[in-house]
Amino acid sequence: MTAVLVRRLIRLIVVCFGISLVTFLLMHLSGDPVSMILPEATEADRAVLREQLGLNRPLIVQYGSFIGRVMQGDFGQSFFHRTPALPLVLERMPTTLLLTFFALSLAVATAIPAGILTAVKRYSWIDHLATITVLLGQSMPVFWTGIMLMLLFAVTWGLFPASGWESWQATVLPAVTLGTFQAPLFLRMSRSSMLEVLGLDYVQTARAKGVPEWWVITKHGLKNAAIPIVTVIGLQFGVLLGGAVVTETVFAIPGTGRLIVRAIGQLDFPVVQAGVMVLSLSIVIVNFAVDLIYLYLNPQVRIS
Amino acid sequence: MRRDFRRRDRGTVFHGLVVLLALTALALVAAPTGRVEAAEEDKIVLALERDQDNMDPHMHFQRVGILMNINMYDSLLHKTPKLQYDPSLATEWRAIDDTTWEFKLRQGVKFHNGDAFSAEDVKFSIERVIDPATKSPQYGNIRAIKAVKIIDDYTVHLITDGPFPLLLERMVFFPIIPKKHFEKVGAQAFAESAPVGTGPYKFVEWKRDQYLHLERFEGHWRGPAPIKTFIIRVIPETSTQIAELKTGGVDIVRNLPPDLMPDLKAHPGTYVSAAPILRTHYVALDMRHPPFDKKEVRQAANYAIDRQAVIDKLMGGLGRIVPTVINPMAFGYDPTVEAYGYDPKKAKELLAQAGYPKGVDITLHTGFGHAWGRQLGEAIADMLTQVGLRTSLRIWDPGPAWNKFFQGEGKATNGFYGSWGYYSTFDADAILHPLYHTEPGGWVGKWYTRVPGLDALIDEARSTVDREKRLATYSKIQRLIKEEAPSIFLWYQYDMLGINRRIDYEARGDEWIWVYDAKLKK
Repeated sequence: MTAVLVRRLIRLIVVCFGISLVTFLLMHLSGDPVSMILPEATEADRAVLREQLGLNRPLIVQYGSFIGRVMQGDFGQSFFHRTPALPLVLERMPTTLLLTFFALSLAVATAIPAGILTAVKRYSWIDHLATITVLLGQSMPVFWTGIMLMLLFAVTWGLFPASGWESWQATVLPAVTLGTFQAPLFLRMSRSSMLEVLGLDYVQTARAKGVPEWWVITKHGLKNAAIPIVTVIGLQFGVLLGGAVVTETVFAIPGTGRLIVRAIGQLDFPVVQAGVMVLSLSIVIVNFAVDLIYLYLNPQVRIS
Repeated sequence: MRRDFRRRDRGTVFHGLVVLLALTALALVAAPTGRVEAAEEDKIVLALERDQDNMDPHMHFQRVGILMNINMYDSLLHKTPKLQYDPSLATEWRAIDDTTWEFKLRQGVKFHNGDAFSAEDVKFSIERVIDPATKSPQYGNIRAIKAVKIIDDYTVHLITDGPFPLLLERMVFFPIIPKKHFEKVGAQAFAESAPVGTGPYKFVEWKRDQYLHLERFEGHWRGPAPIKTFIIRVIPETSTQIAELKTGGVDIVRNLPPDLMPDLKAHPGTYVSAAPILRTHYVALDMRHPPFDKKEVRQAANYAIDRQAVIDKLMGGLGRIVPTVINPMAFGYDPTVEAYGYDPKKAKELLAQAGYPKGVDITLHTGFGHAWGRQLGEAIADMLTQVGLRTSLRIWDPGPAWNKFFQGEGKATNGFYGSWGYYSTFDADAILHPLYHTEPGGWVGKWYTRVPGLDALIDEARSTVDREKRLATYSKIQRLIKEEAPSIFLWYQYDMLGINRRIDYEARGDEWIWVYDAKLKK
């Protein structure tokens, strides 16, 4: 157990290092932020600023000093916001995580019961309806779903606010938008996983012993079928964070995704680097949590 | 036993469904529609596509920042809706000689924090921007000012390093900030949490990337603004802005795409207000390389475009043809210069004369961020292709790639389609210099333009304050560029606002949204 944890921790450090290097190089290859900060200044004025920001030094030196500062939790000052980059990102992180959490909960709460039901009622009209829903859900891009929901529920029926994040009502449409994107995948996974498990011998044995059907499904079936489902949920967390960028833009939500996208447009290196690092860390941590859930669900993992 | 379990199971599902339905019903009843809220309040909500980077009016270079700042800070001069100079913090002004301007300042003006406004604040504000150490992005706008001399508490002299005919235009958006307050709170707090001006609205709260909340300043020298609360909401997506406008969540939306205008005109709760603006469209041509190194090819490109068709079909009629790049609203426009007509036959003949009887392949680039600009680019590319300038259009997202590719290295051959808003400066120089002057610190001109004698003429016109002389020089310039065609000259556009019917407001020619002029309809 301790060995597993140590191995994961080492992997986490390597991943963070890799991410920092790739982000740093990509940003520096994509242009000169000084021309964005001083669009009308002369070349001489720009050279002064370049020197002040340390952008005239060799890339390797810049990366070295960047890593040195990051070790102390300092990603530098945002070029445009003129405040430290890390607090700027952290301030928005709860919004993005909350949106992701709502969407994930919604997707899990609807898709998994539906998946189980379609597995149990295989080839029934419920199963066909679910298949069509899966197809539809996966074919609709997040931004389109968002705009359609907004047109129906905000503009036509006036039930929810069209955008923003100030009230709980405002969180409904974004969470449904993002959840709709993920739910079909969870539904498909739980259906196929349940079908596989329900056909196994021990399930038949349980039924033969007279165990009630719902107990067979939830206790004997679901717990074993849950392993691949949990894996997919963990992996999809990262995809959801990506989807959150689009959802945040469509619904004007002040989250980390929107901050990073805008910072990329402005070549605001410190904000992009801090943002990518924080998001990556949260994905790594969620996957770590998924590994821990495995330990609970599958004793074989514990033994190995 | 099994049956019992099933019955209980069904019961649980049934109860679950009832709870779910009850919760949904509760949510639907409790959800605010927004429409009622906005309509009842003494407030106006403006949607902007992005937030300002900071609230220091001297430390940005963005249209969205200008729109926020103009309502919080006053400048020395203002412009009426008809775009005539209007006294603001200065009540009188005159040129004493070619390099000295005198401004008499308004007395009894208070900043939002109660400090009295005086010449000290004007001197401090201007000197702050012209000091290179401040690194103000607006430095280039007023770098011609060499010194600010205080004559008395309410009189200042601005001394320029040579004749600077744009001075009055530049003073229309040059916010004056309070010296004492700024020195007390420091630059960071001023930009983040403690901005103070003399404008009609004062700062209450700023939630970055969400909203800016302003309240009217009761002690404003013009008298209090008609509407009490002014909120700016940041909504990046145009479709979301429109949805909010229709549901009453916002009152004004700008930069309306023409294809959405009929929808907003027909909607019972909204109307559209449009005004011609300085934003002028052109295709800058790279004169360094073939085929646009030949004048005939550049002229052919100008004859190839059916401008009126584009304006009618793609711009909803809200555009006007320009003979060159000089907008008719800008000082220096010569109405006697005629625009190139649409003559594809002549275009083909000119191409043949230039040595391209079978046409030639070219690449054009565009960095427009909105779908509408891209459609216009595609229409232009198609028209050029029809006369033999077989165009492949490369569409770039605005931002770093475009910036590096074009502004950083000037590689965007054979040309690019863009627009220029003159920084709301109603003077020919505001487009001629960036677009055509070849000095190294310049913008497009240094890469593309090679018209003999043009640099000297641009310099001549900007180095005198004599209006007649300047008009004559600009007339010469327009004839020269019409003949040499360093660009494909296109059209200028309108500012298009979508407005909630409960608000009375009209779009302005300088793209400003001056909330002091907005009123609630009774």
